[in-house]
Amino acid sequence: MTEAPIHDPSHADAGHGHPPKLVYQPALPIPNGKLFMWLFLSTEIMFFAALIGVYIVIRFGAQVWPATHQVHISEPIGAFNTFVLICSSVSIVLSLEAAKSHNAPMAKLWLAVTLALGGVFLGVKAYEYEAKFERGIYPWYPRSRIFELPDVYFGSAVRTRADELRGQLDAANSPLLADLRDDEELKRHIEEMKDTKNYRKLMEAREEESKESAASPGEQVAQKESDDVGKKPLANDEDKEFTSEVKDWLELTFRRPAASDAERDIDEGGLARLAAEIFPLPAPGAGSHVEGLNERFPWLKMPIVIPGGNMWASTYFLLTGFHALHVVIGLIAFGIMLGTMSFSAAKAGVIENIGLYWHFVDLVWIFLFPLLYLF
Amino acid sequence: MSHASHLPTGHGSHGDDHAQADHAQADHGVGKYIAVFVALCFLTACSFFTYSRFWPFHQTPEVAWVFMTAVSCTKAMLVILFFMHVKYEANWKYVLTIPASIMAIFLTLALVPDVGARVHGLFGFGGKYSQERREYAADVDDQVLMVDTSKKVGEHGEHGEGHGEE
Repeated sequence: MTEAPIHDPSHADAGHGHPPKLVYQPALPIPNGKLFMWLFLSTEIMFFAALIGVYIVIRFGAQVWPATHQVHISEPIGAFNTFVLICSSVSIVLSLEAAKSHNAPMAKLWLAVTLALGGVFLGVKAYEYEAKFERGIYPWYPRSRIFELPDVYFGSAVRTRADELRGQLDAANSPLLADLRDDEELKRHIEEMKDTKNYRKLMEAREEESKESAASPGEQVAQKESDDVGKKPLANDEDKEFTSEVKDWLELTFRRPAASDAERDIDEGGLARLAAEIFPLPAPGAGSHVEGLNERFPWLKMPIVIPGGNMWASTYFLLTGFHALHVVIGLIAFGIMLGTMSFSAAKAGVIENIGLYWHFVDLVWIFLFPLLYLF
Repeated sequence: MSHASHLPTGHGSHGDDHAQADHAQADHGVGKYIAVFVALCFLTACSFFTYSRFWPFHQTPEVAWVFMTAVSCTKAMLVILFFMHVKYEANWKYVLTIPASIMAIFLTLALVPDVGARVHGLFGFGGKYSQERREYAADVDDQVLMVDTSKKVGEHGEHGEGHGEE
């Protein structure tokens, strides 16, 4: 370093006669509001960098991570939402430009457009969330029905759910039964079931049982009647027969007959096939998803197997949830501005500041879209 | 800091000529914003292209990752420089953005040895997953779960119902 004096910059110009006129700057050369917004945004950078960084680190360090179609991510929907946010970024910048050129109505209009586009984004997001929720993909138990492996825990959860459904069918005036009565697809499945060897085995076993119990005064009369095909059933009997058929279907589909419970439990290949029937996972790179039993019969709500699915759900909902929260806050701010503010040139600073925030929200989505939908 | 001062921020006494100058700037600005908008849409289409069947590197996802990261960074730069006007700000912009960015990067890197390398390990860090845990964890090899989507739906039902008879 040379010995140039630090305290007096004007010294460098000594000899020229006109030292530069120095003005004391107590702070950064921007309005306080803008400074606040930038300080806030720099904390936001760190906040989202933490979330996105953790996602990247967890995802690439994970033993297994589900492919996008296995968790019902739709890339075109994500791309559409990206487009919507880009449009909203343009519209708010146009609002600022309009305000700066003293065109208050135009500024207001562009801000309203931004508000509407933000609403579209949230609407699409809600639709996407709903698609996950109705398939049992939640970030938390017990709502989440995700299992990592088709193991004994999965098998027992499936059996528990099947028993629960059978219990519901047994209840008087079961609302579930009322829903199922007109389900042609279910009837087709039941007809298919009747052709299987397992069903005939079950029927034989039952017949034997009822013969035995016929000696002692009968409990299983209703059961016997439902087995009797030749007899024309009454309306109430029809319900009874249908109920017992659905229950048999549940029994045979989800509680696979096996010699013993122990044998059933170690049959993990069978559980894997059952998992694939309930909720098929498309192979990575394969196009669309296949409809499983859970989707064909929404009332089933059977547990599902997605390897790596729980960590995926946690990170997905955390990232998109915090982003959506920021969108909501932005929309509230837009609403307040539209309701209370005049859009004169003097207020351009306010529009600029909220615009900075909105662009940041867009910025976060620019990274979230490829990370969550395309990686 | 020459460009930073043209924003009317509360103290504005706008003469007519000043307003006209602003107007000229605004017209110029709108064209610029549309250009950035078109570029952003194009870049979004570029990342979406990796999803289409015309993308030639489906076998090596790493290519798509690098490509999409580059595209995302370009998009982020466009938004920051033009929409957030950082290109036209004075040097104060570095005071806030550089420390925040550095901390963001270091935070992510700090997670790598513990969290990122917990399963596979990296340069001698991590990889502390016990054998037992590995056995009971879901694995990429659980291919039996995967379904060939080119098959018809009905075939799966048969596949499952046959089970138990053998």
